[in-house]
Amino acid sequence: MAKTLISGNKAIAQAAFDAGCDCYFSYPITPQTAIGEYLSEIMPKANRGYVCAESEIASINMVIGAASTGEKAMTSSSSCAISLMQEGLSYAVGDQLPLVLISVMRAGPGLGYIYPSQCDYDQAVTGGGNGDYRIPVLAPSTVQECVDLTHRAFYLSQKYRNPVIVLSDGLLGQMMEPAEFVKYPYPEIDTSKWALTGAKGRAPRKIRSLEINEEKHNQNLQHIFDKYAQMEREEVLFEEHNVEDAEVLLVAFGTMGRNIKAAMNLARQKGLKVGTFRPITLFPFPNKRLSEIADKTKKIIVAEMNMGQMIKDVKVAVNGKADVVHIGRPAGAWLDETEILEAVEKELGGKYAASI
Amino acid sequence: MEQSIIIAGFGGQGVLSAGIILANAFMLNDKHVTWYPCYGAEMRGGAVNCEIVVSDVEVTSIHKKENDILIALNDLSFEKFLPRLKKGGTVIANSSLIEEKKPRTDINYIFAKISDTARDIGNIKAANMAALGILSTICGFAKISSIKEAVSNVLPEKIKELNYNVLEAGTKLANE
Repeated sequence: MAKTLISGNKAIAQAAFDAGCDCYFSYPITPQTAIGEYLSEIMPKANRGYVCAESEIASINMVIGAASTGEKAMTSSSSCAISLMQEGLSYAVGDQLPLVLISVMRAGPGLGYIYPSQCDYDQAVTGGGNGDYRIPVLAPSTVQECVDLTHRAFYLSQKYRNPVIVLSDGLLGQMMEPAEFVKYPYPEIDTSKWALTGAKGRAPRKIRSLEINEEKHNQNLQHIFDKYAQMEREEVLFEEHNVEDAEVLLVAFGTMGRNIKAAMNLARQKGLKVGTFRPITLFPFPNKRLSEIADKTKKIIVAEMNMGQMIKDVKVAVNGKADVVHIGRPAGAWLDETEILEAVEKELGGKYAASI
Repeated sequence: MEQSIIIAGFGGQGVLSAGIILANAFMLNDKHVTWYPCYGAEMRGGAVNCEIVVSDVEVTSIHKKENDILIALNDLSFEKFLPRLKKGGTVIANSSLIEEKKPRTDINYIFAKISDTARDIGNIKAANMAALGILSTICGFAKISSIKEAVSNVLPEKIKELNYNVLEAGTKLANE
């Protein structure tokens, strides 16, 4: 199939359309406005829903409304505006509603800075809404992965009746790469057992997160956490290179996952035993595999365009079996391969001093 | 093999579209390619640039600190990006707008009347094509046939011929 040169933002929009997104609601914000711009053209033509909402609080609640009827619904936004959606996300988990949120990170805190950053790992992975809940987070590193993971996000959200976040960033959103828009093998999921479609001819049903009976409340939560346990068994994705003999493991997610590979290539040319590991699902996090690697590899460098967020999950995964350090900065120019290589050489210390 | 190319100039000089056409040409040539624009609070007439990384294998990092080729369409970008060229790198400089000086001795210079060429052929806005024509003579990845096909895929029909003509003229500029 022919490839198209397309930006990460537009690739996500086209993939959402192809995945059968029925409704899209959002409020513009840099650096993800191109998603809404793209969909504003193709959704109405296909007789699907497109609303430029009056605020992000409105758009997440519109998504909840549409998802309650079994429609595939999506919103997209960035950083400070996703903060406004946290209540809605918590409700969507409690209501057990499938929806897709595209988060294209810029810098924070507050209004921050419009340049690329990875400072909303914590916002996506641990969230800011109330209650015991998790949201699967998929982190693409190439434009092709923007396509693949958007399709997967719709599938997972329907399969588990839970919101799913695709965590992109301003760099990936603006960059263009060749991508293929192929058909994906995900099955359509039946929503007829729970969706609110009018009670004519069947018993009325309701969707709500409030449960005033303690026992039932705890049963509901247990059911939701059983789904998370299933995700941890079945949905973990990661990419690794050269881990077998690695003395230093570079770990990064999203776009930074590319730069650690460039740094690994440089390091290997110098004879340094460096491997890379890129979690693609940030929840469920690839704990098991990282723990296995840490049985042999005792130095781990986590490279992030933030002040240290995913490093906490890496530390939990390796549980003290390896030294874990962080390199990064808040926003702007990405850490490049030479900077990452410097960190590797520092970790290896005197051992390679002669060969460097 | 991997090459990183910066195209820079004023907004309105076709900087971003030249990059998109070039990236399309690399894609048509079955190369791995990534195009990344500067973005932010940009405005017409302000400084604009884009980076294109092309490779035989997967493109890993972008936003590189050092680049192989610089296409500078105005003096501001000539001064700003010249220090980022690798040793042995090449700058294609638009001498219609840039004084012919050589502040570094470890890089190659191609000065050419890029804007004048486009204006003489029909429209100064097609200056970006003259620059791509020059590039095709020094960058092994940038075949002129692929650039032409990319122009055909990207630009509207009514301005294609003008752009082809300026592109062709560009290929000869490099030898002057």
